[in-house]
Amino acid sequence: MQRPDPQKLTEALAARFASPTRSTRLTVVLGRWLALSFTVCFLTGLFSHGLQNPPSWMFFPTSPVWIYELSQGLHVTAGIASIPLLLAKLWSVYPELLKWPPVKSIPHGLERASIALFIASSLLQLTTGLINTYKWYPWPFPFRETHYWLAWVIFGSLLLHIAVKLPAIVVNWDRRAVRAAGQHAAVKGAGGSPGPGRPEAPSAAGARGQAAAPGRWSRRAFLAGVGVTTGAVVLTTAGQSFSWLGPLNLFAPRVMDTGPQSVPVNRTSADAKVADLAMSGQWSLALIYGGTRKTFSLAELRALPQHDQELPIACVEGWSQTARWRGVPLRELVSAVGAPPRSALRVTSLEPEGPYRLMSMPPEYVEDERTLVALELNGSVLDIEHGYPARIIAPGRPGVLQTKWLQTVEVL
Amino acid sequence: MNAPTATKPVTAARAVLGVTGAGLVIYGLLGLPTQLGAAQLVGLLTWMACAVLLHDGVVVPLSTLAGAGLTRIGSRLKPASAAILRGALMTGAVVSLITGTLLKAQSEARTISALEGDYAANLLWFWAVLVMAAAAAIYAIERAGRAMSETGDSRQKTRP
Repeated sequence: MQRPDPQKLTEALAARFASPTRSTRLTVVLGRWLALSFTVCFLTGLFSHGLQNPPSWMFFPTSPVWIYELSQGLHVTAGIASIPLLLAKLWSVYPELLKWPPVKSIPHGLERASIALFIASSLLQLTTGLINTYKWYPWPFPFRETHYWLAWVIFGSLLLHIAVKLPAIVVNWDRRAVRAAGQHAAVKGAGGSPGPGRPEAPSAAGARGQAAAPGRWSRRAFLAGVGVTTGAVVLTTAGQSFSWLGPLNLFAPRVMDTGPQSVPVNRTSADAKVADLAMSGQWSLALIYGGTRKTFSLAELRALPQHDQELPIACVEGWSQTARWRGVPLRELVSAVGAPPRSALRVTSLEPEGPYRLMSMPPEYVEDERTLVALELNGSVLDIEHGYPARIIAPGRPGVLQTKWLQTVEVL
Repeated sequence: MNAPTATKPVTAARAVLGVTGAGLVIYGLLGLPTQLGAAQLVGLLTWMACAVLLHDGVVVPLSTLAGAGLTRIGSRLKPASAAILRGALMTGAVVSLITGTLLKAQSEARTISALEGDYAANLLWFWAVLVMAAAAAIYAIERAGRAMSETGDSRQKTRP
């Protein structure tokens, strides 16, 4: 029996997946869009990670107050936008997968291995990133740590991929160069594939990206379709992060102005096991500075001058909500125990356990008069789900660091 | 003349990007085992492999099959109409994929003030608007095309 020739088999398979819409120029355009969205995700993700796990050089901007709302909203929105872009980009190069032999040389094998890592990491990162915003964790690894380290792998792979493909990217960057190459090829009647570093002569998709074979679509139409699809997924989900897109919010896991006191909730009092302690009439807030310890009952806190602030609460999962908070400026409580307003703090929640039971607050937030020990939200006493009897609200901080159900504030 | 790819800036940029990229990849790969145990790493690799298999073995072949069917339908339409048909289906498919995941999550992990929307109904509305908009655009294009060809025919007939 004759053994099938793998090269012929893969060529036949590649012919099945052939489409005149695919071209190097198409891949370059999609690659530019995807590289931009991945870069936005990477930089905003690093900013968020830096705020939560600050290195010694980390900066902590408190103005504008919506800085974290913007950066994390962009992070999640750019991640969602990357889904159709990645699918389109992978579609544009799919026949490359079927080429035989799969490895021609050691450098070629390394390149393919790096691309395999890039694709696998990107598919996983976008899928798990999206599902994380739904607060559903069906995988057997920790989300936060995996998301962080894979981000380095993906961004590094992106740079490596650009380095490998730079000759093709350079010559296919400019539409006019590609068009000129198409006309040149048409005049010379040149056939076959262009050499490395040469602009690709457009095929049936036409030198202007407009003409297409009957029933198929041109490169320009395909790109328009990808643009519309990306726009659709962004417009129907970004309303959880940006209020002006709220009316179009059809498919985001969060909707603004919902939840107790019209503000969404992430960690509930039941999850945190704090209900009994928080509702106890014996509750008081302890401030500690060196050997000084001063406690404030809820009545004493309410008797202090109250300040109102309109501040957003913005979650790492992308949703945000601006609300009216009322309470005592944290710096005044810090001053009450004799500590300077520019102090670093360790804040403890009533939560018996959990990664956010302890929170470190850099001095930038403490000295900002807008940082409150909040007692009221949107005109009424804090709901237990929002941190009753008292919680922190500071400008430009991730929601997980806006500690609820306060117990102690220790000046470091 | 040298090809633009052989210029010094391009070569230098490739070297910088390549070295930086490889460094970041190694940093990320070495970081993973510092926070993930062996079983978690195996789980991660399994999920990565499944993601690739699902994409390469199911999503792309299915979309190719759908594309072949659309070529047959679209060949009877004006190019702009065929493009609108494909674009509308692409948009609907990707939005449905995302919403399908959302619906699955809703059945598994509903929490307070999250996943409270009626996403199935929203998806139906989305498809209804998409279909109507695409159908209206295709109808307008086909009608304009027919009108133009009829005008052309009548001019040819009246020509001496």
